[in-house]
Formats: sequence, structure tokens, C-alpha cells
Amino acid sequence: MASLKDIRARIESTKNTQQITKAMKLVSAAKLRKAQNNIVNMRPYALTLRKVIADIAVTNKVSHPLMEKKQQVKNVLLVVISSDRGLCGAFNSNINKFTEAYYKENKDKLEKIDFLFIGRRAHDYFIRRDITPVDYITKLDKDISYELASKVAGRVMNDYLEGNYDEVRIIHNEFKSAISQVVVCETILPIDLGLTTFNTEKESATNFSVDMIFEPAPEAIIKDLLEKHFDLQVYRTMSESVAGEHGARMSAMESATNNAKEMINKLTLTYNKLRQEKITTELTEIVSGAEALK
Amino acid sequence: MFKLTIVTPERRLLVGQEVDEVTVPGFKGELNILPGHAPLITTLETGVMKWKLKGKEKQDQAVISWGYCQVTPEGVNVLANMADLPEEIDVQATKEFLSASEKRIMNELITDENWTEFQRDWSRARAKLDMAEGQIKK
Repeated sequence: MASLKDIRARIESTKNTQQITKAMKLVSAAKLRKAQNNIVNMRPYALTLRKVIADIAVTNKVSHPLMEKKQQVKNVLLVVISSDRGLCGAFNSNINKFTEAYYKENKDKLEKIDFLFIGRRAHDYFIRRDITPVDYITKLDKDISYELASKVAGRVMNDYLEGNYDEVRIIHNEFKSAISQVVVCETILPIDLGLTTFNTEKESATNFSVDMIFEPAPEAIIKDLLEKHFDLQVYRTMSESVAGEHGARMSAMESATNNAKEMINKLTLTYNKLRQEKITTELTEIVSGAEALK
Repeated sequence: MFKLTIVTPERRLLVGQEVDEVTVPGFKGELNILPGHAPLITTLETGVMKWKLKGKEKQDQAVISWGYCQVTPEGVNVLANMADLPEEIDVQATKEFLSASEKRIMNELITDENWTEFQRDWSRARAKLDMAEGQIKK
């Protein structure tokens, strides 16, 4: 049986833990708001960019290696986005499990699967399983800037254009809401703009003049625009993952705080029971002592 | 009069604001867009872009770096990599950056790979400084 002092110490330490988890929750909530803002701010840019590309592609019938589907997919690059830090529930383990399952399933079908890790957690996990990535990037949470994303994107795109890979897939947590994140696997290269729907829908292109002046020529513009589009896709997935991370951490810390509260309640109850028992025993001792002296 | 939209991946400066006149640093040099301009798509260089909001005399400015401009009958869409408004510019820091990069170019060998990036950063800082100093004079 634990002594009164032991229980008191446990209550104290649980209280401290509770304070920490509470603080972490608040910090995550603030960071989440910032990350969500990032996503919202990016939307108009993404929409306008996509529209410009579609307009050019429809009216000028230009194509580009980044958009052409390969006949046979043999070499695949997987970009896996996780977080740098833990304590965010199942956020990282979901990613790791999904990636491992994907790897096991497709290992035999494909000639080569390479990995590029963004975030330390996935990297550490797969290093322990003897999978060495072609590259890996950390320090995600401090600032995921567009610049960082476009550096990653540039690297991946060069590899793709040189013919090292036939397909690039990205595995990340999609940000549904603060409490729900879903692991998704998207094919980001070759770029699929869903242009087929634009081709059938004449109206989207009709208000777009065919006499458009291009400076420089459309082929050069579409190349740059597609690169931008790709950069943006990488930036978007990274922002979503960061927002998801903060959301996951927030709810994990919320439940940790609740658990701590429950624990404190239980411990306090035991503490009081023990204290009363002790008093009763002492009283009985004093009374029986006094009786014996008579 | 037409509508102007300026967006970057990280923020949106203007969305569908009505303007009378827009000047952008285009691929072939400075480009002034007035109502009724022919449809056009151009790449943008790093530099100062200006616009006049509807019914206002004073021009607003921003430094943009490396982007796209699309002119349609309805308005102008500017997609830039980065955009800085005059009130956000830290003149001291920009000056320091400029002198640091000038030192770098004298003492270091810059590879072709880094050169584009270096030049872009440099011209962005230069344009920022030009704009900030121009504002003070006014």
C-alpha cells in the first residue's frame, strides 16, 4: 500500500503533466489557425493558375513532357510527408503504416521504388527498416515557405524529366478538419489537370480569346506555368500536412489533459480514503490507550 | 476601368479590386495596361508594379518577383512568387542584404546554378530599395 506521501507526490506530478499538455494544446491551436490561414490564402492563386493553364492548353493545343502519361510505369518515387515531432496521436504512424503497406504491395510489381522523406518521423521509421531514401528534409514546422516547397519540387521534377522515374506519388495527411486527418496517396507527376473535361466543355474556352498575345511563346509559358503548378501542389500538400499535424496534436493533447484530470480525481479519492483510515486508526489507538490507563 | 487581382502562394494582396490603370514589369519591358487592352499573357520580371485604384489620383505600388500576368477583357490577373508592399519593407535590412551580396559577388565564385537565384534575390532587394526611397521622397 502506497503511503500518503507517495500519493501526494503522484498527484503533484500528474498536475504538472496536465499543465504541460494544456499548454501544448493551446500552442497547437494557435499554430493550427496560422496553418489554416496559409491554406486559405493559397486557394485564389491555385485557382487562377489552373485556369490560365487550362486556357492555354485548350486554345493552343500545346503539350508538355510533364503532362504526358508514360505507357509503362516501372520506377516510382514516393514522397512521404510526416512531421518532425511526435506527440500527435496516430498522425505519423498512420502515414508509416500506409507507406509500408504500399511498399509491400507494389515491391514486386515495380522495378524500383525510391523514397523521399519530408519530416523526421517517417525517415527514422524507415531507416530502422533498412530503407534508405534518396533525400530527406526536416525542420518542417518552423516555416514551411513556398521557397522550401519549390526547392523540393524542383529537385523531384528534374529527376522525373531526366527519366529516372515514370511516376511520382505523394503520401500525406489530408487536412479534413481539426480532428480528422486522412492519409491520401496522390499521383503528382505526370500532372493531370483534368483537361479532358475542359476539352469537352467548349464554354470554358469560348470566353477566352484565341487572339491572345503571348510574351514569350505559349510553349515557353506553359512550361513555366506547369512548373509553378507543380511547385504549388507540393506546397499545398505540405501545408495540409502541417495543418493536420497541429490538429492531431491539439486533439491528442486535449485527451491527454482529460486523462490527467481523471487520474487526479482518482488519486485524490484514494488519498482522502487513506487519510481518513489513518485518523480512525489513530483515534482508536488513543481511546484504547486511555481505557487501559483507567 | 477593370478588375485587378494580385495573388501569391502565401498571401493575396488584391482580389477583384476595380482599377483605372496598371503598370507591370513585363517580359519585354514595362507594360502599361489601360481599359480595353488586347488579351495577353506574359511572364513578369522582378520589379515594381503600380496600379491606380478606381477614382484615386495616387498610385499604389508593390515589388513583385517573377510571376505571370494575364489580361482578359474583364480584368488583370497577376500571379507572383512574392510580393512586398512599401510599408512592409525594412530599408536597413535590405541595404545590408545588398551590400552583403555585393561583397559576395566580389569574393566568391558563384556557380551557374546559384546565379539565377542570386540575381533574383539581388534584383528583388534592389527594387524594394528603389521603391522605399521613392516613397520617402514623395
